[in-house]
Amino acid sequence: MVKTLVFGQIREDVIEENTLGVLNKLTEISGISEIIVALFGHQIKDEWITELGKHGASRVVSVKAPELEVYLSRPYVKAMLEVIEKTEPMLVIAAGTVYGEDLIPRLAVHHGVSCAQRINDISIVGDELHFHTPVRDDQAMKVNRIEGAIKFATSRAGAFFVNENPDGGSPNVESFDVTFSEEDMLVKHIEIKKAERTVNLKDAKIIVAGGRGVGGKEQFQIIRELAEILGGEIGATRACTDVHWIEETYEIGQTGQSVSPDIYIAAGISGAPQHVSGIKAKTLIAINTDEGAAIFNFADYGIVGDLHVILPILKQKLQG
Amino acid sequence: MKIIVFIEQIVSTQVKLQGVDYFDSTRVSEDDLVINPSSKNALEGALKLKDQLGAEVTAVCVRGLKPNKALREAIAMGCTDAIEIADENIYTDDPLLLAKVYVEALGKIGEFDLVFLGVEEQSTGSYAIGAMLSEKLGLPSVLYAEELEVIDSGYKVGHVLEGGRKIVAMPSKGVISCSDSQYFTPRYTSMRGILTAKRAEIPKWTAADLGLSSSVVGKEATSLIEVSFSNIVLEKESYIIKEGEPEEKVENLLAKLKEDEVKLGA
Ligand SMILES: Cc1cc2nc3c(=O)[nH]c(=O)nc-3n(C[C@H](O)[C@H](O)[C@H](O)COP(=O)(O)OP(=O)(O)OC[C@H]3O[C@@H](n4cnc5c(N)ncnc54)[C@H](O)[C@@H]3O)c2cc1C
Ligand SMILES: Nc1ncnc2c1ncn2[C@@H]1O[C@H](COP(=O)(O)O)[C@@H](O)[C@H]1O
Repeated sequence: MVKTLVFGQIREDVIEENTLGVLNKLTEISGISEIIVALFGHQIKDEWITELGKHGASRVVSVKAPELEVYLSRPYVKAMLEVIEKTEPMLVIAAGTVYGEDLIPRLAVHHGVSCAQRINDISIVGDELHFHTPVRDDQAMKVNRIEGAIKFATSRAGAFFVNENPDGGSPNVESFDVTFSEEDMLVKHIEIKKAERTVNLKDAKIIVAGGRGVGGKEQFQIIRELAEILGGEIGATRACTDVHWIEETYEIGQTGQSVSPDIYIAAGISGAPQHVSGIKAKTLIAINTDEGAAIFNFADYGIVGDLHVILPILKQKLQG
Repeated sequence: MKIIVFIEQIVSTQVKLQGVDYFDSTRVSEDDLVINPSSKNALEGALKLKDQLGAEVTAVCVRGLKPNKALREAIAMGCTDAIEIADENIYTDDPLLLAKVYVEALGKIGEFDLVFLGVEEQSTGSYAIGAMLSEKLGLPSVLYAEELEVIDSGYKVGHVLEGGRKIVAMPSKGVISCSDSQYFTPRYTSMRGILTAKRAEIPKWTAADLGLSSSVVGKEATSLIEVSFSNIVLEKESYIIKEGEPEEKVENLLAKLKEDEVKLGA
């Protein structure tokens, strides 16, 4: 029976989605005996605890401190190591967000072991935990086990579904204090620059998305025009929003918006896992000059070619 | 000021698997061996500081079939010098063991200010090395950096965050992992750099030179045990159009979409 400790992440004042996905996955595995969630922060809200309980947590352990208001490696590692000591889990897991991927390997180092990274499945074989990680642009699957009393893992962003109708109960709650020194706060938080979300792409039926291959701010015009003709929205990769070719609101992926359109046209996009993890499209059409681009592994249809040649022709043909 | 950049060499992910035995080194050509893309972002981060503050930049490569090739490219991009660490007794598929090698390499190098790494190794999707290294060194770190600014107390670093970007300040000695952002967009090699690289003497260190043995950093030491490795067979069939004039390609696509009753447009 596997006692499991989950790093409870909060994003925009609610439990972060991928964390709920991890909880859902854990509740589906029969060999997982107890799901404990660690919560950290300047304050711990009752509704978070209720939500975690609904999604399968039987116990919530919280540490409240001003130093834990925003994630910083040192104080979070310190707090999490203490929770591990108190709860003695066999598996410590975090959703593969930026924070989750920062935290888990550090905890593993303190326990002298390595960690499983970006898993999209866990299985229990005999009394061994097996961690499944897709590698080489999802061409191959590596299954690992970890030696040692405690195993550490992160999930891949977007890998696990959130249970829409969770029916868990209310968890046992305990809290304790951790003290921090100046040494723990050498990296200092300045600010979070939140991307402005002016357009909600969640319900868009058609998305025409551009990547670095688009080549510039003006060149994005063809993406806009095609989206307009199709009655759809535009989308972009972080590579494009980072250089301000297009407004941040259009970023799709792990750190951008999650979308589930009927049709997603990906033009000049290489297909990085962080981008693709945000797309659940019925049909994905890719246009890329590079035949070897990973996006073609995910595409239903594709054209190997220059988007600046292909898209104008497509536009013209669609206009009749 | 001294900056160490740890880079990795991978078999380009554009080389598609033809059965898992493609790793057989005889089937991989020299052109297929590339610097891991985000390692190049790390090189750029270090070289920007070299331009700005006159730092000395040393590239170190532990992983890959021909690390020497990657290191010559790093010098051609502008690194001051390079060190190759190659040894059959080092198992490079476990980030914890790599971190152990990096710690000893830094020890042998001596004084340093910053360590730069890429955010992830693209071939295996491994991101843990930066976090593990900084934890082992007990140094402050910022991972997933997207921009960097020199300030009095050290650096102001912006890093990737779900829903935006986070800005933090870190002291002048520490570890930074660099992502594929505008700031870290890698420069090309220069003609002069290529000539320098040709002549460069790149020392080669073994595990023993670092006081390490296979019982510490070899496959026998790993806690991450591979149970299986298999090709993923894609369930969905893709219809990828490679041949023809652009116009024909588009017509081909539209005809196929029609045949499959996929409606483009509202
Ligand atoms: C923690 C973390 C989170 C991240 N989150 C996200 C996220 O949420 N969303 C996101 O998008 N990214 C995210 N990223 C960045 C991600 O890893 C990739 O760097 C990014 O998605 C790459 O964008 P791209 O495909 O546009 O660019 P590239 O990878 O540079 O690809 C450009 C593609 O365009 C093709 N091309 C070039 N010219 C043409 C042409 N004329 N016609 C057709 N094709 C052409 C090229 O062949 C290439 O395949 C994240 C990164 C990290 C580290
Ligand atoms: N079956 C295998 N599974 C995973 N990695 C392998 C396998 N065979 C060889 N390798 C390693 O992968 C390296 C090259 O892969 P990469 O650079 O990650 O694309 C080789 O140098 C080997 O060390």
